[in-house]
Amino acid sequence: MNTLTIQLEDALYRCNKCGFCQATCPYYLTTGEEWAVARGRLRLTRAILQGKLPLSDGAVRSMYQCFSCRACNVTCPSGVPVDEILIQARTELARQGYLPEPLAQMGRTIATTGNLTGEAADARRSWWQNLDWAPPQGGKHETVYFVGCVSSFYPQAYGLPQSMAWLMERAGTDYAVLGRDEVCCGYPLYVAGLEAEARALAQANVRTVREAGARRVMTTCPSCYRAWREFYPHLLGEELGVEVVHSTQWLAEAGLPLRPLEGKVTYHDPCDLGRGSGIYDPPREFLKSNGLHLVEMSNTRAEALCCGGGGNMESLDLAAGHAVAQLRMQQASATGAEWVVTACPQCKRTLSSVRSDIPLRVVDIVELARKLAVTD
Amino acid sequence: MKDYVLRHLEEIVGPQNVRTRDEDLFLYSYDASFPEHRPEAVVFPQTTEAVSRLMALATEERIPVVPRGAGTGLSGGSVPVQGGIVLCLTKMNRILGIDAGNLVAEVEPGVVNQRLQAATAPYGLFYPPDPASMKVCTLGGNVAEDAGGPKCFKYGVTKNYILGLEVVLPDGRVIETGGNVVKNTTGYDLTRLFVGSEGTLGVVTRITVRLMPLPQSKRTMLVLFDSLDAASRTVSAIIAAGIVPSALEMMDNLLIRCAEDFVRVGLPTDAAALLLIEVDGADAGLDAEVASIEKVCRQIGVREWKVATSAKEVDQLWLARRTVIGAAGRFRPTVVLQDVTVPRAALPAMVARIVEISNKYEIPIGVLAHAGDGNLHPLILFDERNPDELRREHEIEKEIFSAALELKGTLTGEHGVGLTKLEYLPWQLNPAAIEITRGIKRLFDPHNILNPGKIVAQ
Ligand SMILES: Cc1cc2nc3c(=O)[nH]c(=O)nc-3n(C[C@H](O)[C@H](O)[C@H](O)COP(=O)(O)OP(=O)(O)OC[C@H]3O[C@@H](n4cnc5c(N)ncnc54)[C@H](O)[C@@H]3O)c2cc1C
Ligand code: SF4
Ligand code: SF4
Repeated sequence: MNTLTIQLEDALYRCNKCGFCQATCPYYLTTGEEWAVARGRLRLTRAILQGKLPLSDGAVRSMYQCFSCRACNVTCPSGVPVDEILIQARTELARQGYLPEPLAQMGRTIATTGNLTGEAADARRSWWQNLDWAPPQGGKHETVYFVGCVSSFYPQAYGLPQSMAWLMERAGTDYAVLGRDEVCCGYPLYVAGLEAEARALAQANVRTVREAGARRVMTTCPSCYRAWREFYPHLLGEELGVEVVHSTQWLAEAGLPLRPLEGKVTYHDPCDLGRGSGIYDPPREFLKSNGLHLVEMSNTRAEALCCGGGGNMESLDLAAGHAVAQLRMQQASATGAEWVVTACPQCKRTLSSVRSDIPLRVVDIVELARKLAVTD
Repeated sequence: MKDYVLRHLEEIVGPQNVRTRDEDLFLYSYDASFPEHRPEAVVFPQTTEAVSRLMALATEERIPVVPRGAGTGLSGGSVPVQGGIVLCLTKMNRILGIDAGNLVAEVEPGVVNQRLQAATAPYGLFYPPDPASMKVCTLGGNVAEDAGGPKCFKYGVTKNYILGLEVVLPDGRVIETGGNVVKNTTGYDLTRLFVGSEGTLGVVTRITVRLMPLPQSKRTMLVLFDSLDAASRTVSAIIAAGIVPSALEMMDNLLIRCAEDFVRVGLPTDAAALLLIEVDGADAGLDAEVASIEKVCRQIGVREWKVATSAKEVDQLWLARRTVIGAAGRFRPTVVLQDVTVPRAALPAMVARIVEISNKYEIPIGVLAHAGDGNLHPLILFDERNPDELRREHEIEKEIFSAALELKGTLTGEHGVGLTKLEYLPWQLNPAAIEITRGIKRLFDPHNILNPGKIVAQ
């Protein structure tokens, strides 16, 4: 790994070992181990660069096994861009053949099928097969709804695109979905350091959206949102010329009236939406403006704990994700809320997988809006 | 490390809690200070019994053992300079009980300071020692270093809040000191001996702490100065006037800029220095205290004086203070922090010396202080990759220490001697005092296996 750029090496040297990143790192909070926290990861990277340590399996693990939640970035008083350093380290490791096998497998699956699960592209249309209506596809539309892999391929997540499409229909939005022409947004590859592969997907998606003549890309997945808004311009070296919107922003603006909801709700900030993109207020405003009783968790907004489902961890260390999800649900239940509202299909999947005696329901804000929409 | 010893360790704590791979050893070779040295094994115990069996084994095999909490120490206390085992207590982290009626809590050593604060707040109680690192440092580490913090000016340091300890001695015997009573004169005060012993006399496995009722109210003041000297004279004047704020913290211009670069709350980056002053207690008396502080400040001459008006503003000011050490990394890559403490009247003189030393060696030194305690944290900012800067940093350390001692101060107020101040200890303690200290160490640890090479290397 001796070809990391000098610029990054300087960034690496900004870490002065204060250890403050331990306070918010989900991996550290659930393990208490130094390899899992930014300080340890950065020290290892530095030692490898200096030739003080060989590139061992454990060191490689420390570069990859991370929720990519960026809690360390915002907590770090010294402003170390931990995520960028780790992504560059992974890029370099991948180039040298150290990519962990589960990620290599993921790369191959996405390359051949265009999605994370390996199912055929046609399956992207499954989520509307049992509806008595279908979302528009093809033709020129102002908005393209970029559904994302999680919502397209995991049946328990179908409710999200179903609700989103329903709400847009109702609001009279001129939109279409891409169906089998959509490919993975490339986020999982980008954070794994597979930059070229991520770029190819970015190019394909951007081309499709341009062909559809859309001026706006609507997302319900925060990682797709961040990929489109932040990574694509970087990967492609150009401004996209389309507006990228997340459902929470759209909801806050659309002003759809809701029926009242009994009981309190707490809001879980998805990492890529909150810390990653600075969107903290629109979902809260939407909930409050509809009279919902919102209570906050102990770690909230920029300090929100990851759900445990970030950063390719499902394929690298599933148990670690469960431990984090458990901790997050404990924080949620401590608020006395009955509902955990989030705005991400992956957060919803991960948090709902926690078995607990606490009768706490997890819901995406879009599904909640659909459920409570005033129908006449 | 010999194979059968490793097998034995695995048997004591379980194989998943013993690490020997290169990268693991490297990861436990440092704390938040400068020195590094790798251990031969890292072990995560979860019970007192495991610690006891491990210590007995270590004594039998004469293997060094170095206790470690969060590794935020600033004197190299948990760096295993002689190799051996790092005994990492982060997984021994249960809050065992909070007895609100008796104002005590019982915790395992790996509990993070802030977690105890969060757990006691619902009872209207708090644990006063509040090191700036409180969100991450462990209570075991706090006990071992006798940690202090902003609130300690009024409330006292860790040793004033430890009622009792369970300690595993280097040979594996387990003793209990003190109890959960606030008065106790049964025998020598072993509790106090362990507090601040930097992990050299025993491994703390359970801690009984004293809690205090949360004050009814507080006021937080931000005072800006056009000169660093005026700020430090103000501190001495406040103390001389008999006022006891609950916090009295100082920051110079360089650090104001570092802090603002991180927190972005509108700190005045052109002020020469600031004081962050807090008073707490019954609401009725606070305005008068604030008024007398204002009077002293205005007599010396301040650029601006204001009381924070919202809880958010108070939080932001404290966030800036707590994170400023880390934020200094924005300015130069290597941050070495000193901890000298001088009699409070000598604060202006010590601050002036630090400024002189910084100019002489042409290395920036940020002046940060728990000013009310006379406890200064000069932050020496340099680049360790530059050998000449490294050399100058060492000279600076020496000059700071001798200045503090000339002013009848001490080498360290709260971070401990550890490794980094070892060579300077004879500057402060006379040979008889050092001999007695070594004698105590020998009594507890005749084979010198527990955190060897620290405080008074044998
Ligand atoms: C940015 C920053 C700000 C800080 N601010 C302050 C401050 O305001 N006030 C202050 O006092 N300190 C401060 N510190 C120093 C440090 O946080 C304290 O010394 C803290 O008490 C160390 O706790 P730890 O858990 O990190 O211990 P470690 O660094 O892991 O260990 C410290 C020492 O304790 C020993 N030890 C740890 N656990 C045990 C145990 N269970 N039994 C016996 N020995 C044990 C170790 O052997 C070592 O000698 C600061 C540090 C940083 C990085
Ligand atoms: S908070 Fe930042 S500077 Fe401190 S140890 Fe973590 S990464 Fe390093
Ligand atoms: S990105 Fe999240 S999981 Fe990874 S090191 Fe930072 S805080 Fe920990």
